[in-house]
Amino acid sequence: MRFIKPLCILLLTYTFTAGYLFEVPALPILNETIRALYLHVPMWFTMIFLLLLSSFHSYRYVSNGNILHDMKSYNFAHIGVYFGILGLLTGMVWARYTWGTFWTNDPKLNGSAIGLLIYFGYFILRSSIDDESKRGKISSVYNVFSFSMLIPLIFILPRLTDSLHPGNGGNPGFNVYDMNSQLRLVFYPAVTGFILLGLWISDIRLKMLKLNQK
Amino acid sequence: MINKIFSILEKEIKIELSQGHLFFSVLLYIVSSTYVIYLSFQPSGLFDMETWVSIFWVLILYGSITSVSKSFFQESSKRNFYYYYVYSADELILSKLIYNFLFLICMSSFTFIIFSFLLGDIIISKTFFLSLLILGSFSISNCLTLISAISYQVENNSLIISILGFPVILPILLILIRISKISSIDFSWNLIRDDIYLLILLNVILLSLTKVLFSYLWRN
Repeated sequence: MRFIKPLCILLLTYTFTAGYLFEVPALPILNETIRALYLHVPMWFTMIFLLLLSSFHSYRYVSNGNILHDMKSYNFAHIGVYFGILGLLTGMVWARYTWGTFWTNDPKLNGSAIGLLIYFGYFILRSSIDDESKRGKISSVYNVFSFSMLIPLIFILPRLTDSLHPGNGGNPGFNVYDMNSQLRLVFYPAVTGFILLGLWISDIRLKMLKLNQK
Repeated sequence: MINKIFSILEKEIKIELSQGHLFFSVLLYIVSSTYVIYLSFQPSGLFDMETWVSIFWVLILYGSITSVSKSFFQESSKRNFYYYYVYSADELILSKLIYNFLFLICMSSFTFIIFSFLLGDIIISKTFFLSLLILGSFSISNCLTLISAISYQVENNSLIISILGFPVILPILLILIRISKISSIDFSWNLIRDDIYLLILLNVILLSLTKVLFSYLWRN
């Protein structure tokens, strides 16, 4: 935890200065909005990372029954969903300026929206059970089960159909990003920075949850 | 183990046959909703293949959610206690999976007959579509059995099962809709190969997860 905070601040400061100042490839339609890549894509990376941690802790909880794992899993899912909503919003603004509309029938958009629905269902499931250990067990089972359905929804299905997003419609993932070395220079630090930010927020919120329980 | 699974299955089917109201209520549900769809498309009728296929699978989804949810709810809590002592979790979930699978096959083929009768017969390669129905019922039962076991443990469960079930079942439903659109033109293995492989892969994941996770769920 000690290294996370300074590293996160450093990387995000770098992202927000270099992201606005560095040169980006001049592409038609995209123009300067290509800088949204530094904000929009890391949100999804962070969401997937946090949800992966959440389902991992859910699995730990059902296998050993330590209530701390359940708390962690709930906490990671909660923060992950916030990042998902942010990813959706930044994507919508970007889409307004490049594709001309806030929402299109794009498989990746639908997949991520449904992924958020899964986790809203998870929260409702949690709130409808009073008993603590029962709540942890049932919602953990659902968490592991639904996360394994989220992966094909976001990563496999869009690749089989045509999508406005790069890397879909049978194309290999990262080459089509048109990511030249200039973009990568900011993109990878941005992804790491936002993941660290997600971990940091979840750490603070976990402390709050623990205090609330006492 | 197989003997025990068959004994549960036999009991389920006997109860179903002697009571009969669940199966017939689902059939009546299918008939009346198909009739609503039929009347709402009058007077021009439904000719569009895509609409036919989509409405068909959505109706199957609703019918299967109502029928699969009953597979745990219809058991009294006393009987579940009895199961807890006599059978292991694996035996119970496997028998439930098989039972739901058989139930959904009956329901979906009935829906297909009613749909072709009222809304027009647009499926050209029928053998392919029927085998797709079997595969589809298999996937839907794999997906919904664990969800119904989860929502059995929650108080206001009829709403919970649809909230939890819809987003999880969606990838399967999308693949099924896409494959069945092809079957209304003509069967071609090249067009559907990837989708079929993906569906089988999803089923393997779902089955193994259901088997592993149900034992944790059953323990409380």
